[in-house]
Amino acid sequence: MAKVAREMVTRAGINVDHLLELLVNNAAAELTTYYYYTILRANLIGLEGETIKEIAEVARIEDRNHFEALVPRIYELGGKLPEDMKEFHDLSACPPAKLPADPTDIKAMLTVLVEAERCAVRGYTHICNLTAGKDHRTYDLALSILHEEIEHESWFSEFLGEGPSGHFMRRGETSPFVSKFLK
Amino acid sequence: MLRLTPAELAMYNGRGGAPAYVAYEGKIYDVSASFLWQRGRHQAMHEAGTDLTGALAEAPHGKEFLERFPVVGMLSQGFPPKPGDPQP
Repeated sequence: MAKVAREMVTRAGINVDHLLELLVNNAAAELTTYYYYTILRANLIGLEGETIKEIAEVARIEDRNHFEALVPRIYELGGKLPEDMKEFHDLSACPPAKLPADPTDIKAMLTVLVEAERCAVRGYTHICNLTAGKDHRTYDLALSILHEEIEHESWFSEFLGEGPSGHFMRRGETSPFVSKFLK
Repeated sequence: MLRLTPAELAMYNGRGGAPAYVAYEGKIYDVSASFLWQRGRHQAMHEAGTDLTGALAEAPHGKEFLERFPVVGMLSQGFPPKPGDPQP
C-alpha cells in the first residue's frame, strides 16, 4: 500500500473504502467484459459479423488493458481483489455482456456491445466526478479509460446507424490513452 | 400496492432473503432482479431500502433506469401523488 498516497486522498475528502469498492467493481466489469467479448468476437462471423470483428477485438483487448491498469491503483490505495473469481464476477459494475439468443443477429450483438460500453462510460464518468481535483492519480487513470470507452461506444453506435462517430481510423498500438499506465 | 414509511422501506434492503426496494419521488421500485443491485448494494454508494430521490441527481444516469423496474408501492412520507400515479 502507498500509505501517504492513500492519506492524501483521504485528506482530500474522499471515502477511500467507497472508492476502492468502485475500482474493484469496475475492474471486475473490465475482466468479465473481456471474457464475454471473447465469446461475442468468436461468433462474429459471415459478411456482417466479420465487418465488426476488428473493432470488437480492439475493444476486447482494451478492456483487458483497463483491468490491468486498474489493479495497481487498487493495491496502492490499500485495496485488493477478491480471492474468489465467482465473487469477483458478481461484483461487476456492469451486467454480463452475454451472447444474444440469436448470435447471427448482428444488430442484437451490436446492442450488447454498445450497452456494455455505455455502462462503462457512466461508471468512469462517475469516478472522474468523485476524484476530480482530489485524487489526481485515480482521476487520470479513470479519465484515460473513459477516453477509450467513449471511443468504443462511438464505434458500435456508428455501426447501429445512430450517427457518425466522427473518428478517423485508429493507427498504432491499442489503448492510446491507457498505455501509459501499462509501461 | 404497498404503502411504506421510510422505516418500513428500510427492511427491504436486499439482504437475508429480503427483496431490494428503493424509493424515488414517492414511488417504490423493486430492483431485486437487477444484476446491479445484488445484495442490496449498487455501485458501492447506494443501499436498497432507502429513498434515492436526492442521490439520483448525482448519478451518471437518469430515472429511466429505475423505471425499468416494477413499481410495488408508494412511500407514505414521500412526494404528494401526481395524476397518473399508481394508487395504493
